[in-house]
Amino acid sequence: MSLNQIEKAQGVRVRSSQDLAAGLFMLLLAGLAMVMSWELPMGTLRQLGPGMLPKSFAVICAFLGALLVLSSLRFEGEALSGWSWRGVFFVLGAACVFALCIRGFDIGPIHVPQLGLAVAGPLVILISGLAADDFRPKELVIFAVAMSTACALLFKYALSLPIPLAPWLLGI
Amino acid sequence: MDMFSNLALGFGVALSLQNLALCFAGCLVGTLIGVLPGVGPIATIAILLPITFGLDPTGALIMLAGIYYGAQYGGSTTAILVNIPGEATSVVTTLDGHQMAKQGRAGVALGTAAIGSFFAGCVATLFIAALGAPLTKLALLFGPAEYFSLMVMGLCFAVVLARGSILKAFCMIMVGLLLSTVGTDLETGQERMTLGFAPLADGIDFAVLAMGVFGFAEVLRNLENPEARDVVKTKIGRLLPDWNDIKQSVAPVLRGTFIGGILGILPGNGAVLGPFASYTLEKKIAKDPSRFGKGAIEGVAGPESANNAGAQTAFIPLLTLGIPPNAVMALMVGAMTIHGIIPGPQVITKNPDLFWGMIASMWIGNLMLLIINLPLVGVWVKLLQVPYRLMFPSILIFCCIGIYSVNNQPVDVAFTAMFGLFGYLLIKLGFEPAPMLLGFVLGKLMEEKLRQALIISRGSFMTFVERPISAGLLVVAVVILVVALLPSINKKRDEVFTE
Amino acid sequence: MKRTVLGLAAALSLALAGGAHAQAYPTKPVTMIVPFAAGGPTDIIARIVGDHMSKTLGQQVVIENVAGAGGTTGITRALTAAPDGYTIAMGHLGTFSAAPATYPGLKYDPINGMQPIGMAGGTPILIVGRKNLDAADLKAFVAAVKANPDKFNEAHAGLGSVSWTTCTLFKGILGTPKLNAVAYRGTGPALNDLVSGQIDFMCDQIVSVSEQVKAGTIKAYAIASAQRSPALPNVPTTTEAGLPEYQIEAWNGIAAPKGTPKEAVDRLVDALNKALNDENTKKRLLELGTVLPTAAERTPDGFAALIKRDAAKLDPALKAAPK
Repeated sequence: MSLNQIEKAQGVRVRSSQDLAAGLFMLLLAGLAMVMSWELPMGTLRQLGPGMLPKSFAVICAFLGALLVLSSLRFEGEALSGWSWRGVFFVLGAACVFALCIRGFDIGPIHVPQLGLAVAGPLVILISGLAADDFRPKELVIFAVAMSTACALLFKYALSLPIPLAPWLLGI
Repeated sequence: MDMFSNLALGFGVALSLQNLALCFAGCLVGTLIGVLPGVGPIATIAILLPITFGLDPTGALIMLAGIYYGAQYGGSTTAILVNIPGEATSVVTTLDGHQMAKQGRAGVALGTAAIGSFFAGCVATLFIAALGAPLTKLALLFGPAEYFSLMVMGLCFAVVLARGSILKAFCMIMVGLLLSTVGTDLETGQERMTLGFAPLADGIDFAVLAMGVFGFAEVLRNLENPEARDVVKTKIGRLLPDWNDIKQSVAPVLRGTFIGGILGILPGNGAVLGPFASYTLEKKIAKDPSRFGKGAIEGVAGPESANNAGAQTAFIPLLTLGIPPNAVMALMVGAMTIHGIIPGPQVITKNPDLFWGMIASMWIGNLMLLIINLPLVGVWVKLLQVPYRLMFPSILIFCCIGIYSVNNQPVDVAFTAMFGLFGYLLIKLGFEPAPMLLGFVLGKLMEEKLRQALIISRGSFMTFVERPISAGLLVVAVVILVVALLPSINKKRDEVFTE
Repeated sequence: MKRTVLGLAAALSLALAGGAHAQAYPTKPVTMIVPFAAGGPTDIIARIVGDHMSKTLGQQVVIENVAGAGGTTGITRALTAAPDGYTIAMGHLGTFSAAPATYPGLKYDPINGMQPIGMAGGTPILIVGRKNLDAADLKAFVAAVKANPDKFNEAHAGLGSVSWTTCTLFKGILGTPKLNAVAYRGTGPALNDLVSGQIDFMCDQIVSVSEQVKAGTIKAYAIASAQRSPALPNVPTTTEAGLPEYQIEAWNGIAAPKGTPKEAVDRLVDALNKALNDENTKKRLLELGTVLPTAAERTPDGFAALIKRDAAKLDPALKAAPK
């Protein structure tokens, strides 16, 4: 009762853009899960089907999302802050380059040969290093070579993980 | 008493020069792979299996066990220093451990973790020696229904992990549960939410999710605000805990050891719950719960002890019943069978040397780990002084190699990058990823146990209430939830009224 | 394009190996893909056999665990690799005989689309029940299940696993395909619930259950092989116990991609046979409860025949199984 009065007095407005976005994010995620698990059978109580839990979880996610949206209109909270694309691009890009190079890859017409750790290692460090505001090119190159050598020795030889080193050059 | 003569036999075996050397080698390798993010004990033990062919079975198992609990020690180092939980059991350590590191108390956090783990290891060793055999009955009391209720209780713990909004913590648990259902359905083989993408057929790997939302996302967050990361490197502070720190940690260590030890015995990886349960307890009984998540030493001491105690008591079902409670223990079964010892209820009587030798070696191994780790604290803390522009590419390359080596699948690395983006988005939206990880870990087990229990009970939900242990666990779950929710509901009301 | 790059790489590695003259296979480590997690029965056999094969080949046999989808992920990767003899796979009954009927979208053909090398070892399958089941022997047990299928719960380690495959065959023979099946993640947890009496029976490899049977915590009804096992001499065979139709063994065997050069195949067959004839390797395998393959089964043709025979045996039951 009293809650409603306060709300009326102040009007409905977004008090926390972060919470609002979080709520919408939960609703989106729930919707996505619902669509993706739509065709899975729910089963019976005695024999739960593969769709029972994903769908139930999605419904609860949607409910929580709606609650978050409502609370963002009612309680004061943080606003959304900016998003740094530089880090996302270089850091995550470096990881993807590693994934593409380590064993080689075929995506449609693009063909990447098996380059192995000898190439993927330095690339990860060089590319991700660009994400820092204060990177120094010379230092980064030296570090990339040293670090990759250390990793090769550590993982390939000390821990003997079956990781390709340079199949195109050394055959391993 | 029998126990002492048995332990004497065990120490006689474990203190031979060869076994001491193997134990040390195991602990050293374990610490190393624990510190490296991504490379876990499973991969390492598998790779080292053929090397143990030439050894006698006791020596081989002593070394492999050393790798396992050594990795638990090392894993907390990475959790504290760079906020990456190498394994599900060190997720909680990131909460307060990394905060302590940011406040320049990395050395204290590492030292507390090492000493707490050592203590827990000692107690757990005695525990196994004294009560190993009778305690196996506990594992047999837990059927699917009890296990499901235990998982529900575990999820209720997660609410307490929240820093800030409880509603958002709930959201994260649900997202974790939702992510855990991705992959091939165990019973019907149908693919769920995989979009027909083959690498997703077995679901999302824990390492992929954890490295993504903790490791990569943390790097992105740090790149954004240079001030936050500089705090870590400017202040070094004390290297070891002082008397005050130790006084604060004694009780949490004791409680953590007890909780972790009990949960470690349960089948189906009950050990993962130990650190969460310990954290929940410490936060609930603390005089000032708001310190948690901001570098409370109890939040490191308790869970780290629980984690190590659980890692050790997990050997009980393996050694006495021959039933491996988790993936690493399944691998130990492999190691034992490779040496012609088939684990089962008869190992104690048939191979007393092996059984008691291994138990004694655990205590010795824990001592060695303390000796290896304490001097290393200084080295680890120095690592924080490496400029961040060089540190984060190193974290990245270790993560990439580590994730690749989990399944030898390059696409896992790309997935981790994707989860890095997802984790960054979560940070921006004000979500904490720790409860999500717990939801994810428990989700798979929970669904499996729920479905098993319902098939066995022929579709009756009453089975969860009719069975006393299950009912008891559910009551605890409800109590935790009410206790956690009440203050926050009151607080929100207050906020509304003061507005 | 891919060929040229591979060719170049091969040429380069040959050049590095020190001669313009082509050297005999193998000139670099051979990767053996194990399509299951490390430490499981298939992984152990692969590591034991691979360890000795390295000696004969003069190059390391590197075990690479590529787990997923009942082993089909790893086998797919191995069989679609370049057929140069440097990628081989250790599969089992499930991945080579049962997979086509279990997974409709399977991306390889174990009968026509691969080069078998040979069988590495077989593991007998046991039908085990909880210790306080009323039925005293297999006959009584089968009668009880047939009379009252709804009273029984069977445990298995997930669709596509050995326990699921062999138990599906068992239920197919009994004519009770819809019997309550409880899925577990791995046989360890399933065994735990069998020992504690939550579930009634399961079919599993002898190595996982033999110690429990010896200790009397579970009951063994029969072994689904032609002979009794030296590990459990008191357990009758299915033929002795009155269910001769139920004969199945969980074997492991090595295969390479189709089109692997004959020279490489011969070398691998030779290395496998030398490994299986080695006293130390033999001893290790026997300790695991493994049955060593016959001379015929160690050859590509004999192994291919085995794959075909078991596929034909399993096909009807697997296709009729509720999925």
